Amino acid sequence: MTMILKRIMHIEDDPSIQEVARVALEVVGGFEVRSCDSGADGLAAADDFSPQLVLLDVMMPGMDGPQTLIELRKLPCMQGVPIVFMTAKAQTQEVAAYRDLGAAGVIIKPFDPMTLSDQIREIWEYKHA
Amino acid sequence: MHESEQLVAQLAALEERFRQRLHDELDELNHLADHLHRTPGALQDLRDRLHKLAGSAGTFGYAVLGERCRELEQRAQAELDAPHRSSAVLNSLAEATHHLNQLLEHTPDARTEHQRLDTPTTDEGDQRHIGLLVADDQMREQLERTLGSFGYQTSCFDNPTTLHQADHIDAMIVDTSPPGSTLLQDPVFRQRDAQSPPLLVISSQDNFTGRLHAVRVGAIGFFTKPVDLPMLESRLERCFNTLQGGPFRVLIIDDDTELSARYALVLSSAGMMVDTLSDPQQLLDKMTAFSPEVVLMDLSMPQYSGPELAQVIRLNDDWLRVPIVYLSAEVNAERQMSALLKAGDDFITKPISDSALLTTVYARAQRARMVSEALARDSLTGLLKHADIKEQVEIEAERALRTRSPLTVAMIDIDRFKSVNDRYGHASGDSVIRALSNLLRQRLRKIDRLGRYGGEEFVAVLPGCSEDDAFSILDSIRQAFSAVQFSSTQGKPFNCTFSAGISSCMAPGWNNSALLEDADRALYQAKESGRDRVCKAGVSSN
Repeated sequence: MTMILKRIMHIEDDPSIQEVARVALEVVGGFEVRSCDSGADGLAAADDFSPQLVLLDVMMPGMDGPQTLIELRKLPCMQGVPIVFMTAKAQTQEVAAYRDLGAAGVIIKPFDPMTLSDQIREIWEYKHA
Repeated sequence: MHESEQLVAQLAALEERFRQRLHDELDELNHLADHLHRTPGALQDLRDRLHKLAGSAGTFGYAVLGERCRELEQRAQAELDAPHRSSAVLNSLAEATHHLNQLLEHTPDARTEHQRLDTPTTDEGDQRHIGLLVADDQMREQLERTLGSFGYQTSCFDNPTTLHQADHIDAMIVDTSPPGSTLLQDPVFRQRDAQSPPLLVISSQDNFTGRLHAVRVGAIGFFTKPVDLPMLESRLERCFNTLQGGPFRVLIIDDDTELSARYALVLSSAGMMVDTLSDPQQLLDKMTAFSPEVVLMDLSMPQYSGPELAQVIRLNDDWLRVPIVYLSAEVNAERQMSALLKAGDDFITKPISDSALLTTVYARAQRARMVSEALARDSLTGLLKHADIKEQVEIEAERALRTRSPLTVAMIDIDRFKSVNDRYGHASGDSVIRALSNLLRQRLRKIDRLGRYGGEEFVAVLPGCSEDDAFSILDSIRQAFSAVQFSSTQGKPFNCTFSAGISSCMAPGWNNSALLEDADRALYQAKESGRDRVCKAGVSSN
């Protein structure tokens, strides 16, 4: 039986995207969302929030998405937690490269706020099918 | 319902905040663009900010701006990757960045599509931009005039490099004459890839080598002089339609749900719309509801074989053109062939890499869509036929009555068409008909209905459009059409005109039963008073 997805951590440095994703995930999906401004913020909040899924921007100043993924994976609380990349880059090779890094899925920007939650649920259900 | 209203309200508030922030963001981009030459790190900052905007603008409805930012981001990245900075590239990047502000005014917002539809003119934001690399002055002028008439914007270039560096070109037309030209062997043509804008090649010689060179640089059209310009325009339109027709729909039938979910993820990551089916009993319902353009099917499932299911699909005439691709670990050629003989079109052998899966499905889907479009339309014009357009007039008249909104019907007839056929041949006549239908389609709105009523007679149904508005649109189309230069099969240039009659009904107390007849009478009046004009029937009020 699939575990119900409730807590999503969103790591994104662009406040506009952060806000719209939060509204979309909270209102449409009914998820509990923790928004983090940077990879370092995400790492610091992971233990306390204990996300079931992480939505991670690829290109961020300082620690970028792939680096953040590697660091998150080292935390005991993050073992087995699916990490989904969110990126404006959507070339086939890049999607394949993100998967090789262990990403559970890739969501392409611009995204539709109305269907973002469905996309996340689809990835979650696939991961737990 | 409540949630969705709440979401719409919150999104609207966020969009407003984004819009306000956007002005500051564009100011910052302009500032960086001005300092590209002087400030170290400015190019990288510019790239980062463009990347951010590429991701966010589209989410807030500024799709065109988002796309443009993405293109500029890629150009900035290419320059960052280059061993030396090129002053010309930096200048062009700075200039293109300064132009981003203009997109704020012209950007069509997806959430206000219904408002755009009410405006009875073509939106400037929809205009396609065609880059011309044509040395022959006469040819270039003809192209500019004809493509302009069809609503395309054109820009001229004098070498392959500037053409490929140009900002936001949707398609390019390259003239390779005189004979022996090595233009297509220029390295920039050889570096073209799937992301490059579609290329049409014009040549003075119709030979195998010329066509081969064109194919090698990825051209999608090859035209020999004298160029049939309406035919060239048709090709452009077809290529944009294929690009525009929404995501490809792919159905995966496999009892291994984990594997089909994996394929589905790969295909949907590339923008395709994917549905999966694990219980073949639901096959017919799924085919009807989802209407896939490609079916991927496991060759052997517990109770049914792939070929059996493929044959079930093929029993329905509507699905004959849907390609069926088997997914299988089967490498035995004989067994593969036996499956293909029963039904099915291709094999993908598992395991398959993500990119190979994508390429196979993409190629099949693209081809299927082209075939499907060709079959669904009237072979010459792609418009509705007589009975269908008459039905549309009735449907729209009823709707107009219900909604108390105006409706205009136009009847359009090509002037002296018989003499075109007699003097220049039927192939030229067909080309005139095709050109007018393309022009009408380009210039009218998506909600308008268009049909070929008879040989050279067309009907346009314009909901929500008053007689005066319809008059000005049709009159501008009339002028554009008369500027289109045709050429006979012998290369002789000629022009054509049309006459049109329009009839509207306005609430209240109107009469919508005689719209077509009234339009026909007005058309007769236009013919009688000298042709090449649009006449109004006058508002029917009882």
